[in-house]
Order: sequence, then C-alpha cells, then structure tokens
Amino acid sequence: MKQPPQLSQAQARMAHGALTRDGFLGTDSRNLVEILQDDDGRVRRLGLSHADLAAALQRLTDAALAHLGAPVVIDDRFEVRSVEAMGRMPCPFGHPGLFVKAEVHGRRLDTGETLVWTPLSVHLIGAHGFYQGRGSPYRLDPEQLAGFLGMEGKGPEDVT
Amino acid sequence: MGDVLTAVGVLVGLGAFLALILVVAERRLVHSGPVRLTINDADPVEVPGGEPLLSVLRERKIFVPSACGGRGSCGLCKVRILEGGGPVLPTETPHLSPEEIEDRVRLACQVKVRDDTAIEIPAHLLEVEEYEVRVEAIEELTYDIRRVRLAFGPGVAFRFRAGQYVQIETPIYDGLGEPVYRAYSISSPPQDTDAIELIIRKVPRGICTTFVHELLLVGDRLRINGPYGDFYLRETPAEAVFIAGGSGLAPFESILADMAARGVRKKVTLFFGAVSRRDLYDLERLHAYGERLPGFAFVPALSHPDPGDDWQGETGLITDVVARHYGSMEGMEAYLCGSPGMIDACVRVLTDKGVAEDRIFYDKFA
Amino acid sequence: MTNQGAFTIFIAAIFINNILLSNFLGMCPFIAVSREVRTAAGLGAAVAFVMTLTSGLNYLVYAYLLEPLGLEYLRYIAFIVVIAATVQLVEMVIERTSPVLYYALGIFLPLITVNCAILGVSLFMVIRQYSFVQSLAYGAGSGVGWALAILAMAGLRKKMKRSRVPAALEGPGITVILAGIMALAFIGFSGMVPM
Repeated sequence: MKQPPQLSQAQARMAHGALTRDGFLGTDSRNLVEILQDDDGRVRRLGLSHADLAAALQRLTDAALAHLGAPVVIDDRFEVRSVEAMGRMPCPFGHPGLFVKAEVHGRRLDTGETLVWTPLSVHLIGAHGFYQGRGSPYRLDPEQLAGFLGMEGKGPEDVT
Repeated sequence: MGDVLTAVGVLVGLGAFLALILVVAERRLVHSGPVRLTINDADPVEVPGGEPLLSVLRERKIFVPSACGGRGSCGLCKVRILEGGGPVLPTETPHLSPEEIEDRVRLACQVKVRDDTAIEIPAHLLEVEEYEVRVEAIEELTYDIRRVRLAFGPGVAFRFRAGQYVQIETPIYDGLGEPVYRAYSISSPPQDTDAIELIIRKVPRGICTTFVHELLLVGDRLRINGPYGDFYLRETPAEAVFIAGGSGLAPFESILADMAARGVRKKVTLFFGAVSRRDLYDLERLHAYGERLPGFAFVPALSHPDPGDDWQGETGLITDVVARHYGSMEGMEAYLCGSPGMIDACVRVLTDKGVAEDRIFYDKFA
Repeated sequence: MTNQGAFTIFIAAIFINNILLSNFLGMCPFIAVSREVRTAAGLGAAVAFVMTLTSGLNYLVYAYLLEPLGLEYLRYIAFIVVIAATVQLVEMVIERTSPVLYYALGIFLPLITVNCAILGVSLFMVIRQYSFVQSLAYGAGSGVGWALAILAMAGLRKKMKRSRVPAALEGPGITVILAGIMALAFIGFSGMVPM
C-alpha cells in the first residue's frame, strides 16, 4: 500500500543497521503504514489508546531509570530494572530530541511474565502508535503489552 | 513511413529538450559550482556547492560529531554560520533554542553550502584527525566490560588531553549498510602517545559494542578519529568530585594517571557506582592512587549487592552515596561520566548541594 | 472550442466536476495520504500547483507541437513526459529558492509524477477543446478541487479515529466508502453550471 513520503523516510531509517543494529522492523515485510494501521486497530479493539499504554510504560521506565540499574518494585506488582548504555539515540520518525539508550527489563511478580523494552519504545508507542515490526527484538504486541501492564479486559469502548 | 519518423522525431526531440532543461537546471540550481568556505577566520577554501555542510567538512577531514549520520534528528552537529547558509529550516528548529537561532547556530547536516559561507566551529575539532590503529590487547574487566588497547603505527604520536574521547569507525559487518561512528573515552594517560586504551561496555544490541565484544581480535586494524571533547580537569584550587558509572571510569583513570605523572595537587574524591560486585573493576589500581596522590580518596559503591558479594563498602544509589558523603558542596567542582540517567540524577543532587551549574562537567555524547 | 468563461470553468472544476469525486482520479494518494490534515494539506497544495502548471504547458505542447503535425495520438506519452520533467524542475526550483517551502511541500512532489489526476486534467482539457486560458482555469480549479477533497477526507478520518469501525473495514476500506458518500454529496452541485 502506498504511504506518505515521511513514512517511507521513517521506514528507511528503521532498516537493519541504519540507526540501530537490528532496526525496528524485524522480519516484517509490510509497509510501515500497514503495521501502524494494524496495531492501531488492535489497540482500539482492546478499548485502549496508545497514550494509555505509553503512559503506563513510561511510569515503569522512569522508575527503572531512576534506580540506575538496580531492580525496583512498583505497585507490589512489577519488578523493573534498567540496563543503561552511554549515549542517546534519535527517533526514526525524525522526531526532535534524543532518547536514552537503555533496556528496561520488567517482570510481573504475580504471574512471572517478563517484558523487555527501551525508552525509545515508549516514545514510539506514545507519539507514533508504533509497536515495531514483527520479529523486531523490541516488538511489543499490543495484547501482550496490555496484559503485562494489567490493562486488558475493558473491551472496546462505546462511542456514541 | 514519414509519419512514423516524424512521431519518433517529435518524441525524441521533446524528451531531449526537457532532459536538457533539467540538466541545465541541475547545474545551475543544485550544484552551483565551487563556493568559498571560511572556517574560523582561516583562509577561505574552495568546496563544491550544493552539498550538506556536514559532508563538506567531513571531506576536508573535519569531524563534527553526529550521532544520527546526518539525518537531522540528533541535533549534535551544531555550528555557527556567520555568513551564508540560508534561512533556518523546519528540520532544524526543534533542535535550536531561540538564543541559538539568534546566535546563528545551525545544524551542519541540514545546511547546504550553496553560496560563499563562513562558519565557526570549536577550535579543538580542527585538531581531530583520522588514524589507523592495531588492536594490541583486549582484557576482560567484567562480564560485559572490556579494555581494548589500540596502538598507533610507528612514528605516529597521538596527542590528547586526559579526559577526551575518540570515535571508532565500526567496520561494515553482518550485512550492515554503512560504517557508524561511536564515541569512547580514553582511559590511558596522555603521556602514552603510541597507544591508547578504551573501556567499552557491551550495549544490548549495540552496533559498535557488539562488534568490539564479539568480533574484534588482537591484531585487527581499526580506524578511529579524535581526540574530541572538553571534559578535562580544571586545574583550580577547588575541591573536585568525580562520579563514574559502568564504563564511565575510563576518563577518570586517564585524568588520575595524568595527575600522578605531572604531580598535580588537587583534592579529589572518585565515586564509582555499580549494581553488584560483578560490575566492579580496576579497584586495586584506583585504591593505589590514594598513596600516590595526596588528597585523593576512592569510594566504590554498590546499589544492589548480591547476597554472596560480602560487600563491606558503601551501598545505595551513587547519588545517595555522594549526598551522604558531603554537607554543603558549595565551591566544589564535579566531573561526571556515565549513562545519561546517572548524569541527570547527579546534576540534580549536585545543584541541590550547592555546586554551581557551570562547575559541573560531563561529555555531551553521553 | 467551448466559450465558457474561465471563472465558470474554475468554479465548475472545483465543485461540479471535481476530478476526484466525479472522475475518481488520483485515488491512491487520496486514500494513502489522508490520515492527517497537515500532510493532506501539503499534498493538496502541491497537486494544485503542479496541475495548474502542467495543464498550461501541456496545452502549449498539444496546440503548437502535436496538433500541427497530426500527432494527437502521442499526447499520452508527451503529457506524461512533460509532467515528469515539470515535477523535477519545480522540485529543484523550490529547493533552491525557498528551502522552507521545499520542506513543507517538496517531499510530496515526487509522489505527484504518477498521480493520474494530473494526466487526467491534461487529457480532459484536450477532449473539451479548451483555449489556453480556459485550460489554465480548468487545471487550477481541478487542483483546488482535489486539494479540497483530500482535506475534507483527512478531516473526516481525524474524527473517525474515535469511532468504532468494523475490523474488516478499517483503513482503506472505510475510506473508499467515505469517498463514495462524499461523491454522492457533491452530485448535489451538478446542474449549477452546464458542463
């Protein structure tokens, strides 16, 4: 499917080796616009918004980064820990600003579920509704993410 | 038959005419011939017109730092354009403050050199050169940190100030498209001019650190450029605090060795923050400076020691350890090297404790 | 040669014979680039500009080169070549003279080369035997009409982000249905001016 040139530019920056070693698209051969549309629909069917998911993830990310690599427990439910590197990285959509290079490792204390994401992942979800391509190392399936954050089960919202 | 020829002739003629216009237009508009570029009041040099300033400078072996490869998203390649450069582009405005725009600061990757241009760049960038080096030794410091010793060729003396950094050009590997540059602080003293040491921590999925940790072997050749940065010890009477996290110990090892070699006297305390014992390295070497440097103290601290670590030293976040250690820190200097998160947290604590903001030093690349 | 006034043609091309909603030309970018109002406005402006320019240029090529030589059948190729070259040239001129405008609009220009609405306008202009001024008016009107349609669609899709669309129709599906409804609405204008 055709897409605006900005998305094509962003897609080029998401390639393997362009900004990061693994890129953001994984083995997903779809165009960026289709990935965005697909995930947008999936998030809405969960009755959630990108902003909701990003805000919840941002809270965990901030807590993890504030503890400089030491594990920290949030809400008696999540244990998060950051693996920070030096340096910052840009957003592939060309968004101004740089994002801390780090991994956040999260674990649900009750279910034992684990999830790994980066500060840039949170921005990509919140600002662009981008959950990365299938097979990308930091791909976050909306359903899995909502489940991990304990935000599932609200069902589609009613809009009149 | 004649009809066909006319038809072909008209089409070819039309195509050729339009192509000609485009070629002329491109000559005139895009590549506007050689223009004069003046750098820091030196004599103007002729450069091809129409190219981004960043690549023009790189062609001339002037390496303006850039993290995004000229895509206008990192905002690091700021230079002052005194003459030429055209209007500020929408791709630049997000990275520039109103004061910077007033001051004619621009992003070198976005500005195209179309007319005679005069620019101003930090003088130390002019001293940056490219070197080919040989990997002389690789030492495992922890499970994810390596010390790499890079030797310059015979007859090459690499001069730098303790605390500065170099960029490694990561060769193309694993199907990656283009070489990338990553910055690493030098940990060896500036008195060694025939080789430098870098301390490199493996970054999850990092382009360059994965290469260094998984593919680099003793004897390999690498290209580096440097030295960069104004992170060096201010030789003032003020007491200084050094705060390092992870591989951020590197510039401090260089600075301390330099202080010992030159007999610099300054009251310095080095805090080294890590999570657990397995993240610590070079402890004996650093403790030993306590005897060689009067006024030096070394405080390693663990934020989350493993039960088996048998840790007797300081515990807690490095910011808390520093805060506990001092009452008021007014009049002191602070030198920071570590992850951006650590630096941000330290700057908050230090300013709360009374350290003046312009007395807190750290490298922007972090 | 019709002798409608240029202004009538201009207005008619916007509302009554909207190139997008009555001829359904230029649908691909209409569907793909109507997700956000800002990008839609950029593309709309670029299309309007190039359409006006190419309808004039193609008129000259047709009236002074192809027609005298009896080569009317070559117009498809000739028009496409002219459009492609014009787009390239416009891109270069804008980049040189106004880098700010180039960034606002320039990135959409390459996309226009293959926009069938542009070629469609040049071909209609020949079929309807417009004069030079009429051709310019028709090109400008069609361009504005196309921009209006994509802007309206982007506005609708922005509102639709909050609505529950059946999963199977999400994205392009519902957009085509919307385009159909918009076209029906525009039929209301027909008959205002005889075309």
